[in-house]
Amino acid sequence: MSDAEAPQEEGADEPRAGGRAQAVVAGALPIALGAFAAWLAFGLKLGSLTDPGPGLWPLVVAALLVACGVAIVVVALSAKVFEAAPANRTESFTRGTGAVLAAAAALAVYASLFEVVGFELPTLLLLFAWLRFLGRESWLTSAAVAVSATAVAYALFILGLGVPLPHIIAF
Amino acid sequence: MDFSTVLSGFAVAFEPQNLLFCLIGVTVGMLIGVLPGLGPAATIAILLPITYTLEPTAAVIMLAGIFYGAQYGGTITSVLLRMPGEASTVVTALDGHALARKGEAGPALGVAAIASFIGGTASILLLTFIAPALAGAALAFGPAEYTVLALIGIFLVGTLGSGSLWKSAAAAALGLLIATVGLDPLLGTPRFTFGTDQLADGIDFTIVAMGLFGVGEILYNLEHRDRPQPAVPSFGRAVPSRLHWLRSRMAILRGSVTGFVLGILPGGGATMSSLVSYAVEKRVAKEPSRFGKGAIEGVAGPESANNAAATSSFIPLLTLGIPANATMAVLFGALMLQGITPGPGLMSEHPDVFWGVVNSMYVGNLLLLALSIPLIGVFVRMLKVRPGILAPLTVVITMLGAYSIRNNAFDMLLMIGLGLLGYGMCKLGFEPGPFVLAFVLGSLLEASFRRSMRLFGGDLTEFVQRPVSGTLVAVLVLTVVVVPVLRTVRARQTERTAVD
Repeated sequence: MSDAEAPQEEGADEPRAGGRAQAVVAGALPIALGAFAAWLAFGLKLGSLTDPGPGLWPLVVAALLVACGVAIVVVALSAKVFEAAPANRTESFTRGTGAVLAAAAALAVYASLFEVVGFELPTLLLLFAWLRFLGRESWLTSAAVAVSATAVAYALFILGLGVPLPHIIAF
Repeated sequence: MDFSTVLSGFAVAFEPQNLLFCLIGVTVGMLIGVLPGLGPAATIAILLPITYTLEPTAAVIMLAGIFYGAQYGGTITSVLLRMPGEASTVVTALDGHALARKGEAGPALGVAAIASFIGGTASILLLTFIAPALAGAALAFGPAEYTVLALIGIFLVGTLGSGSLWKSAAAAALGLLIATVGLDPLLGTPRFTFGTDQLADGIDFTIVAMGLFGVGEILYNLEHRDRPQPAVPSFGRAVPSRLHWLRSRMAILRGSVTGFVLGILPGGGATMSSLVSYAVEKRVAKEPSRFGKGAIEGVAGPESANNAAATSSFIPLLTLGIPANATMAVLFGALMLQGITPGPGLMSEHPDVFWGVVNSMYVGNLLLLALSIPLIGVFVRMLKVRPGILAPLTVVITMLGAYSIRNNAFDMLLMIGLGLLGYGMCKLGFEPGPFVLAFVLGSLLEASFRRSMRLFGGDLTEFVQRPVSGTLVAVLVLTVVVVPVLRTVRARQTERTAVD
């Protein structure tokens, strides 16, 4: 349990406010997404205002998204006092971002193993890895929590709620 | 007004099963209110798949309990640790924690619990009388009115948030766009499905809510994981003295009314009403200088206001089918999953659900009052459970829940993707609330817009010319003008509060 007190140096790595470049990206992404969606919407039938086709509404919404993105970029580039505009508020990416991506990757692996080998082993491994490496718990705590939580999940979902999770242990 | 349905709602609320789920709901709500990190919207989203197997009334009673229970729980950490568990209890920390430092944490928590109880209960009572009238008026609404109403809802939730107007609008537009994935609601043409059958039915609301709120928040918190563990002060008996009570009672009364009114407005809700109530109490106080140094009114007013607002924010959802805030959007989804469409028809078509849920809130508030005082110590001890242990457990429940919706691993991957989107949105300053709200209202908005267009022969001016939708358009325009003014006033108020 000694791990609990040790890592305090990470406090220096708390995310700070992001800069102008990040604020521009925050507007550029909606523009790109909106443009892509608009292009797809054109491929559907647009119809007319009297008789709207399947593509008209998505096109309107995509245009709205692009317009908002443009406004965000304009504010990011033109604001005299950069920090004063709420649209410019972002949070810088830190070393912790790596942990976030690792966690998401672990979850994706979990989801793809799930139907192949049943839910018990992937659950056990996911819990253990998360506790030990992302949560920095001790080996013992990680193992104990992982095993008992998997057992509880089995009892709750399969025995309690009757959810047909793929599983290898049967009673 | 027909009171027999109200009374039979009590019979529903007092069924043993519903009492049990009410108890579970408020306890979970209080717990997550105490724990920083997961908010009520995320918790309700994560628990959605579990409610599939429950009977609709019991499911909604439990989920509603989580929502208002969280308002009680958030207070505890605000007062004891100056660490608000919920946004709506931030202002309580000002005087609540000052009282705690003077050794009056017990009385402060006692007053907060009583104020919360009175605020919540008064609000249910008012809801009982106002909701039927509102639903009755809304029964005559056609597609044009629903189009404008949904726009008002999305607009207000976007603008009353704390962030940028443009970013809220962008988030809402993205939500509307994601809502169009799947078959066209009127013609059945596949849209944005990229040729896969997995997306033909559209993206399940539960997946969106669990991804953006649940997985998104867990990922976001991973980056902030090393918070120092706070030391908990002793708090003695949670019984207010006579003086505390004399000073609080008018504040509670004013806070309840403020909270009720602001809670009905889309986007208003608990956080804003607690801020307004604090400002009001400070203004009417004989010695405003006591505020910030442990004025009990500064706890009583906001606490009654945030609970009254939490309750009254059910009104737009249950009577108009328009969720007033992010949590209500998730509850909207919960009702839809149970095959119940929230809206003006709810009260007449499912009176047992409507009144069962509303009346269960009396029970829930009573349970919270009874639980909060003796259990404060237990809840505070829960804070010692490290986030490093809680996060993976939450993640596993979320993943298994996502799978169980369609017994489909693709949904898990979709949820992870949406979780990353939610994380990215937070980092870039977009709020997920407007996204989820717009997603929920997306198909309603599109279908009613297109139906109105056909009805009006493509003439957009008809929206203004019809009396009811015209009035609603006027309200929409008014809010476009009024809301920015409100935001400025509130920003100044917050500044002033912070300075004092």
